[in-house]
Amino acid sequence: MIEVDEVGVNAGDVTLLAPISTSVPRGEALIVRGRNGTGKSTLLRVLAGARKPSSGMVRIGGLGVVERDGGFRRRVAAMIGLPPMASDLTVFDHVLLVATTWTDDSTAAAELTRDVLAELGLDALDERFPHELSSGQTQLFGLALVLARPFEVLILDEPEQRLDPEHVESVIRVLRARRDDGATLVVATHSPLLADGVADRTLWLDAVA
Amino acid sequence: MSSRSGAAIGIWRARNVRTVGDRGFLIYMVLMVALVTVAPLARAVWLSAASEEGVALFASPAAPGVTMLIVAGLWSGGLLLGRDRGPALHPPFLTHALAASDLPRSDTFRGPVLRAGVLVTTMTTLVAGLVAGSLVHHGLSEPLSGAVFTAAGAMVGVITTVAWLVGQAFPRAAMPVALGVLALGVTTAAIPLMQPFTPWGWVGLAYPGSGTSHIVVALAALTASLAAVVPVLMNRLDLTALAVQSARWDAAAAHTTGMDFNMAAALYQGRPHRGRGTRAIRPRNRLAWTFLIRDAVGSTRTPGRLIVGVAALAASGVLITLAFAPATPGWLLGAAAGLIVFAGIGPLSDGIRHAASVAGDFPLYGISDEHLLANHALFPLAVVVLVLLAAVIVCSILTGIAVAAPLASAFVLGLLTLVARVSNALKGPLPPVLLTPIPTPMGDLSAAVRMTWALDGLLLAALAGASAALAFEVPLLFIGVAVTLITVGINRWRHRG
Repeated sequence: MIEVDEVGVNAGDVTLLAPISTSVPRGEALIVRGRNGTGKSTLLRVLAGARKPSSGMVRIGGLGVVERDGGFRRRVAAMIGLPPMASDLTVFDHVLLVATTWTDDSTAAAELTRDVLAELGLDALDERFPHELSSGQTQLFGLALVLARPFEVLILDEPEQRLDPEHVESVIRVLRARRDDGATLVVATHSPLLADGVADRTLWLDAVA
Repeated sequence: MSSRSGAAIGIWRARNVRTVGDRGFLIYMVLMVALVTVAPLARAVWLSAASEEGVALFASPAAPGVTMLIVAGLWSGGLLLGRDRGPALHPPFLTHALAASDLPRSDTFRGPVLRAGVLVTTMTTLVAGLVAGSLVHHGLSEPLSGAVFTAAGAMVGVITTVAWLVGQAFPRAAMPVALGVLALGVTTAAIPLMQPFTPWGWVGLAYPGSGTSHIVVALAALTASLAAVVPVLMNRLDLTALAVQSARWDAAAAHTTGMDFNMAAALYQGRPHRGRGTRAIRPRNRLAWTFLIRDAVGSTRTPGRLIVGVAALAASGVLITLAFAPATPGWLLGAAAGLIVFAGIGPLSDGIRHAASVAGDFPLYGISDEHLLANHALFPLAVVVLVLLAAVIVCSILTGIAVAAPLASAFVLGLLTLVARVSNALKGPLPPVLLTPIPTPMGDLSAAVRMTWALDGLLLAALAGASAALAFEVPLLFIGVAVTLITVGINRWRHRG
C-alpha cells in the first residue's frame, strides 16, 4: 500500500531525515520509532503530502503523493499536531459536521459520530466546546475528528500525547479495530505500550548527523 | 512597597539592565519622537480646538450632556476592560511569583496600578484642559471655571482607573454594572433633573461656563472615597485570573510586535458558553444549507459579539446613505463605513477563519478547500447584505435621500469588505522579506511597509468604502480597488498553507 524509496529531507545543510526505504502492505500497521530529532514527524509529513522530499519517492496505492488531489485526500487521513478546531461548535457538532461532509446519509453520519465519540470515551463530553476540554481530552477530540472521516491510510504523530495509560489503551483498541477493518496505519510514537499494542512492523530511525 | 516585594521586582528588572549607551539612545529617541511627532500633533489638536468650529462645538448647549454620556461610557468601558485586562498586571513570571507569595497584592501590584492610573488621569486631564482652555481662550468661560473642569477631568481619570480595577476584581459583576452605568448615563443626559444626583451628571454640571462648578466638591468626595478602597480591591484579585490575564496580554503583545494583529485580537475574542443544547449541524440535501445553519447557530453562541457585529453593519449602512446627502464629505463617510463594515463582519466570519486554517492543514472535510470556504462565506454574506440594505432603506426614508445610489454602493461595499475579510483570514504570518531594511534619505521605511501589510485589511476596507461612495462619480477608482482586493485574495489563496 505504501512504498517509501530512499526518501530523505534536507533543509539547507541540515538533514532532517536521512534517506530511508520501507514498505507497508494494506491492512498493516507500521510504527515509526526513534529519538527526538531523528525525523519521525518529517517522514509522516512527507507521507501526508505536507512536505516534499529532497530525494527519493513515496507512492501510496501505486500513486504519487499530491495533497490537493481529491482522490489522495479521500484515501489518506493524517493527524500531525492537533487539527484546526472551530471555537463555536460543540464536540458533537464538530464530529458530525466532518462526518456529514463525507456522506449523503445523515443517519449514518450521526451514527458514526456517536460511535467514534463512544470509542474514545468522549460521549459524556459531547456538549462541551473545544476550550472546555482538558489537554488529554483535546487530544482525543482531535483523533475523533480524524476518525470521523473515511480513509485507507491513517497517519498519526504521537497520538498518545497528553494521555494517561488508560486512554492510551483505548487508542490502541481503536487503532487495532481500524487496522482489522483493512486500514493501513503509520504511527510515530514514543510509547512502548502503543507500539507493542499496534505494530505489525517497526521502523527505527537513527539520529541524523 | 515592602522590602521583600521591592527586592523581587528589583531582581526582575536587573535581568535586563540598560547600558549608558542604551539609555542615551532612549532619551534621544523620546526627544525626537516628541519633537517630530508629538509636538506638531499637539499643536494641530490645539489649533483645531481653538478654531471657530472647535469653539462652536465646545460651546454648544448639547456639550454638557455629551460630556455626561462620554464619562458614563468611559466608566462602563473601564469596567468591561478590567474583565479581560486589568490595571494590576506584571509580566507572567513576575505575576505568578508575586501573586503566589504571602505578600499583599496591594503592595506587589501597586506599581502597575499607579502607572495605569497616571496614564489614564493624564489623558482625561489633558482632554478636559483642552476643552476648558479653548473656552477660556475665547472668553466663553472664567479661568476659575476652566480650572475646576480640568480638575474634574483629573478626577474622572482616577474614577476610571478604579472602575478598571473593579472590573478586574469582580469580572462577573462588571458586565451588569457597566450596562447599568451606561443606561443611567443616557437617562441622565436626557433628564436634567437627575444630573445633581449622578457622578457623570456632576461632571456635566462642572462644564465650563455652566455656573454650577461647586458640584465638583461631590465629585472630589467620591474620588477620594473610591481611591481609598483601591488597596481592598487589589487584595481581592484572584491568582488564577491574574495569571490568565497576564499570559494573554504577554502573548497578545508578542503577536502585536510581530504585526500579527489577527492573532492578537483572537486572544481576546469572546468564547462560547451558551447554546450548547441547540444542534448546530442539521444535515440537509445541500451542504450549503448545512453550513449556513451551522454558522448561524454558531454565531448565536456568542450573542454579545453577534449584536455588536449587526449594530456595526447597521451603523455603516447609515453612514453610506449619508455619504450621498448634499454637502457632506462622501468619501470620508464612505471610508468610515468601510472600516465599520470590516469590523462588523468580524464576529460573523468565524467560519471563514476556520476554513482558512483548515485549508492550510491536512484534509478533514469531505469537500474541497474552495467549497468549504464558499460555504462558510454564505452566512456573513447573507447577514451583511440584509442588514446593510435594510439600514440604507430605513435611513433613506427618514432623511429623504434617493435610495438607489446608496443601495447599490452598500451592496458592493458589503461584497468587497467580505473579500477583504477572506483575504485577511488567509494572510498568515509576516513574510520574512518584509523584515529587510528599506534605506531612504528619510530613514528606514520597512516599518511603514510592515505596518501597511499588518493593516491591509482595514486599509483596503476603508478604500472600498470611499470608492463605493464615489462609485458613480469616479468609477475607475472603484474598479481599481475591487481588482486590487480580488487579486490580493486570489494570490493569498494560491499560496495558502
